[in-house]
Amino acid sequence: MEPIIHLNGVSMIYGGNGTRATALSGVSFDVRPGEYAVITGESGAGKSTLLAILGGLQIPSEGTVRIHGVDLSALPSDGLADFRRETIGFVFQAYHLLPYLTARENVMVPMSPERVSPGEKVERADSLLAAVGLDGKEDRLPSQLSGGESQRVAIARALVHDPPVLLADEPTGNLDSATGEQILDLFSGLNGRGKTVLMVTHNPANLARATRSIRLRDGRVEEDRILAPLAV
Amino acid sequence: MNIRKLAWKNLLRRKSRAVFTGLGIFLGIATFVAISSITSQMEGAVQDQLDRFGANIVVSPRAERLSLGFGDIALGGTEVAHSRLAIADKERIASIHHKDRIRSVVPFILAASDVSGKNLVWMGLPSTDLAIARPWWKITGSPVRERGEVLLGAEAAAMLDKGPGGTVTAGNRLYRVAGVLHPTGEKEDGMVIADIGDVQSLAKNPGAVTYFEVAALCKDCPVEDIVAQIGQALPGARVSAIRQVVESRKAAVDQLRRLGFGVSSIVLLIGGLMVLVTVMGGVQERTREIGVLRAVGFRTRSIFSLLFWETGWVSLLSSLLGAATGIAAAYLVAPSFGIEHPGIRMLPALLGTAAGLVLGLLGAVPPARRAAALSPTEAIRTL
Repeated sequence: MEPIIHLNGVSMIYGGNGTRATALSGVSFDVRPGEYAVITGESGAGKSTLLAILGGLQIPSEGTVRIHGVDLSALPSDGLADFRRETIGFVFQAYHLLPYLTARENVMVPMSPERVSPGEKVERADSLLAAVGLDGKEDRLPSQLSGGESQRVAIARALVHDPPVLLADEPTGNLDSATGEQILDLFSGLNGRGKTVLMVTHNPANLARATRSIRLRDGRVEEDRILAPLAV
Repeated sequence: MNIRKLAWKNLLRRKSRAVFTGLGIFLGIATFVAISSITSQMEGAVQDQLDRFGANIVVSPRAERLSLGFGDIALGGTEVAHSRLAIADKERIASIHHKDRIRSVVPFILAASDVSGKNLVWMGLPSTDLAIARPWWKITGSPVRERGEVLLGAEAAAMLDKGPGGTVTAGNRLYRVAGVLHPTGEKEDGMVIADIGDVQSLAKNPGAVTYFEVAALCKDCPVEDIVAQIGQALPGARVSAIRQVVESRKAAVDQLRRLGFGVSSIVLLIGGLMVLVTVMGGVQERTREIGVLRAVGFRTRSIFSLLFWETGWVSLLSSLLGAATGIAAAYLVAPSFGIEHPGIRMLPALLGTAAGLVLGLLGAVPPARRAAALSPTEAIRTL
């Protein structure tokens, strides 16, 4: 099976002469479609930088990144934006919902620049909100939602273009354990429906649902373990 | 949800910032519209007032200067008139095509005559036209109101040692001194001013006129057209515009226009800078939000579009409000600028609204460029 994510010799070096900081150094691995990979490591290990590179938010200093058949280093700024919109769904720890928009409007934000009829946008947003268990809460502002509900809205927003890859950075970091479990259930469900999930986490409990674990240390892959066989 | 609605929602969320951004545009456009509206109305008012203030065309007999001499000996020269002017010519001047542009035609006669033993020049004009022809004269006593009265120039009064209420004699007739002119620095200071009929009698030349002074209202028509038409009506006359008067009127109005343009430009510039500073501050504040939008797939053009819509909404609303305020302010203060019949000028309002919109959008260009250039990782770093 062709990998959906292919990293080869990826390094990321910040700063210039005298202030160089190496965030990633020669990272290489492949991820197959449908995998649920958990990326762990101490603070400063390079997890967030790796996620930014995988999401096309940053271009590595060295190495190649191919996702869904696209070489990210060959894309211009707007090409990367199109790639993010069509291929990647981001879920952030702090949700990053726009506080002045309702749940439905937040889900519709990625569709704002598109020439799609307002009715179609609403229909798609409402069906995604229903899918993440927020039926009836479409018109609530983020301030009227709990942390778990806000994260569900963020997941619905990430799914709005039906991307093949979901990237999540500590999605349960701001939630209590019970709510965190529900969110992880959601990710498991999405993975079960064919989405490739890469999740950065500090929490070893998250490993229970993953099929693979990649541990980073000082910008390098310290351990790459298959936790469960990938269903074919 | 589209970018236009997203921009509008963000404005509603940050009302105080939106108000502050719009304040610069509002003040700039209100000032621009008020000043433009007032200066445009003042141009007419100033021109009207200037037109009322004295003549700008002189009609005199066409004459040629002849040099007299005998051999190499020069004996001076004299002017030989081809024709004479008469009181009846006033009607012909007043009947030209642009007659509605002629405010007054005042006949003058000049004659030298003995006054109480002194040889002085007499200036005659219809006593009823004195206030029209010389509105700036200041008189001790009263002006000439009827025949038999004279007004003495300041130097003539000193020479004759006469004042208001005194009498002078000329041509075996007694004239009452109605008043004395304050010094003007002109030739009138040495003259005796009387009703035209009295001076014609003294000169034994009834109906004669030395020259006409014509006051033309030249706001919308070139004075040259009126000069040409009078020349056609009086073929034997020399008709000349007092160029200095015409030019000084144009200069006064031009200065007014330049002043208005200068003040408006400065205020608009300040308004534009306010937009730039506040939108730039807004971009700084929203780094994370813009990063998130970039992360979910907004292209640079979409970020540009978002900021332009936001600034566009603010600029449009504040420009419309500024234009309305400017019109109202101009209307209310117009009387204190000498505008007797204030009106509403739509052109400055339309120009002001368009200028406010353009200025606001221009002010948003640097912040929008900065926002579009923001790396999405700025947002990721805040995770």
